[in-house]
Amino acid sequence: MVGFSADISAVTALSVATLLPFVAFLLILIFTRKRPRLSASLAIGAVTVSLACSLTLLGLNLKMAGPVQYSVRLLASSGFDIPFGFLLDQLSVLMLVVVASICFLVQVYSLGYMAGDPGFSRYYAFMSLFASAMMTLSVSPTILQLYIFWELVGLSSYLLIGFWYEKFSATQAGKKAFVMTRAGDVAFFIGFLLLFLHTGNLSIPDLNGPAASATMSPAAHTLAALLIFGGIVGKSAQFPLLTWLPDAMEGPTPVSALLHSATMVAAGVYLFARLFPFFSMSPTAMEIFLAIGTISMLLASTMAIVSRDIKKVWAYSTISQLGFMIMALGAGGYFAGVFHLTTHAGFKALLFLCSGVFIHRYGTNDVYELGRSGARRMIVPTVSIVLAAAALSGFPPLSGYFSKEAIVGSMAGLPNPFWLAAALAGVFLTAYYSFRLIFILLLPRPEKGPPVPASHGPDHGEAGHESGYGVMAWPLIILAAVTVVLGFLGNPLEHFLLKSLPGGAVAAGASAEGAGIAWSHWAALGLAAAGTALAWLEFGRGGAKQIGFVEKIPPLYRLFAERWYIDRFYGLLVNLVIDRGISYICYQNDKKVIDGTIDGLSEATIGSGRIAAFLQSGMIQYRLLVIFAVMVLLSIYFFFQVL
Amino acid sequence: MIVPFSHVLVVGGIIFALGVFCAVVRRNLIMMVLGIEIMLNAVAIVFAGASLRWQNLDGQTFVLFILAVAASEVAIGLGMIVYAFRRTGSFDPSNFNLLR
Repeated sequence: MVGFSADISAVTALSVATLLPFVAFLLILIFTRKRPRLSASLAIGAVTVSLACSLTLLGLNLKMAGPVQYSVRLLASSGFDIPFGFLLDQLSVLMLVVVASICFLVQVYSLGYMAGDPGFSRYYAFMSLFASAMMTLSVSPTILQLYIFWELVGLSSYLLIGFWYEKFSATQAGKKAFVMTRAGDVAFFIGFLLLFLHTGNLSIPDLNGPAASATMSPAAHTLAALLIFGGIVGKSAQFPLLTWLPDAMEGPTPVSALLHSATMVAAGVYLFARLFPFFSMSPTAMEIFLAIGTISMLLASTMAIVSRDIKKVWAYSTISQLGFMIMALGAGGYFAGVFHLTTHAGFKALLFLCSGVFIHRYGTNDVYELGRSGARRMIVPTVSIVLAAAALSGFPPLSGYFSKEAIVGSMAGLPNPFWLAAALAGVFLTAYYSFRLIFILLLPRPEKGPPVPASHGPDHGEAGHESGYGVMAWPLIILAAVTVVLGFLGNPLEHFLLKSLPGGAVAAGASAEGAGIAWSHWAALGLAAAGTALAWLEFGRGGAKQIGFVEKIPPLYRLFAERWYIDRFYGLLVNLVIDRGISYICYQNDKKVIDGTIDGLSEATIGSGRIAAFLQSGMIQYRLLVIFAVMVLLSIYFFFQVL
Repeated sequence: MIVPFSHVLVVGGIIFALGVFCAVVRRNLIMMVLGIEIMLNAVAIVFAGASLRWQNLDGQTFVLFILAVAASEVAIGLGMIVYAFRRTGSFDPSNFNLLR
């Protein structure tokens, strides 16, 4: 452990970092709703202090030997208590810095993007709530505390997706996101209750130690791991709960950048990394996680190929990249997954923020429309979006290249070549859909583009104005610089992160990452280039019609555009099971049983009331008075034994 | 426990008496329901205090039950008040004497 003084300052810095945005949230909601500028400065001030604190903590943590843990006990009675506090190790400090910096940048960006919105103060209040909840989630020492803040970030996600609540589709999307993630969270909840029953302990370091698996049978261990993974599936929008994330794009674009690409949806992956030693003790569960990650990654990339909505393309891409991270973690590549989480947070936030600049300026989400309106004339966002898309596709020397190589390397270490093939296919599709979008955006065809479907009109309340461009450009430049630089920090980051894992898991992770780098590395790079080349052939070069190969096969196109009919399936399920099944039974029960009983009772009461009606005057307060008087007399009689 | 139990009892008693006064004196159905709520909460305070006094969780459990009952009571009570208001156009309890 570390010295006492470092301990105290770390705890103080953490408390300030996590509590200050929450204080800002309360202050804005209670006092400054009528004064948008003051609200924004409160929120940004709070998040700036948080960022400074988390950077300090990173500096402190570099010098520390082991993790710092601090907790107080809440609800202590009858031999049971709930510890509440902080766990500060390499992983949580990294996540803290990522969350604080993206929160800061996005809040500054929002000054321009949300300017003039009637809900400006409300927006900053919710953003502060999110920042506080997400940072506390990152440093939670127990699963229960993590779960509480997990739900709080879910709440702020719901509030921010439905931020423009006048728009019916936005409220629907918010509801869908809330219900679908909640479905996963129920599994998560049951999972950790099961853990609690077996081990009597929800502390994360204890669960990651060898003692936890010793007290549980392998079957119970696998079941608990799978149930907890249910929460990850919901939060990180993995198969089969993936359709809420594209709909969540109804929220303001900075919200999509912060919550639905960089941080909140990555909370699922973070939980996976947090409990990585625990999960990795169950090989069956890890195999299933690997499969789920692969399925989501491939499904979402095929959806991204056919989408015309710029934000939806990045949303599908987020699902796909989160699938990549889960694949890497499932394959034992702890560092690869966490590193990709970090780099992805940077370049995906950048992609969304750039798209936000275009949407803000031209008032449409449609890529073809944006291209035709001349989006490429805006230098900063155009350069940034190209950089970020290249990072997403994994081109050197950008950050995505390094993390994606690490993932492909950990796939290559697996005995079954199928996973490596799937990962390589994913790399190809990623490059294809990213550059499809870039080419459509940069090289518009005024006359030849496919006709715009009616559903893709300008539907965002923030349509065309040029204000606030300056304040929106700076976060883009900073994030673009991070995207370029971050990849070279891979090696120090790896040593830093692997310090926090117990010995066995480190060996497993390292061996998985060490093997097979040589040829899979070149294969991944080649496939990314091939994907880009295909995109160039179909969308970029002079005479190209800008129609993708998928669009030439109508059944396949429909399958992808309809999201593999997953939403239809859920619609059918809800319709059959809930609407016609459960709610019909409930309705009949309500009508026949409950209403019938009450009607019968009330008729009996009326009948007997007629008979008893002679006895009373009908003044209810006199009767109340009499009741109280009698009760007072009775209590005097019983307590004092008088009369 | 820093606060003596007798103080808790005194506070609970004062709040209960306020609730009784409100329920009996005010000529407004909503204020009457409010009075009943105040009485319930006074009892809850005493339960929580007693739970701490004897280090026994039963009292706090009971408070949770009181909260649930109070919530449902308000829901039903307000529903009935709205209905009564639609029938008679008044909140005065002395107007509701159809049962006589």
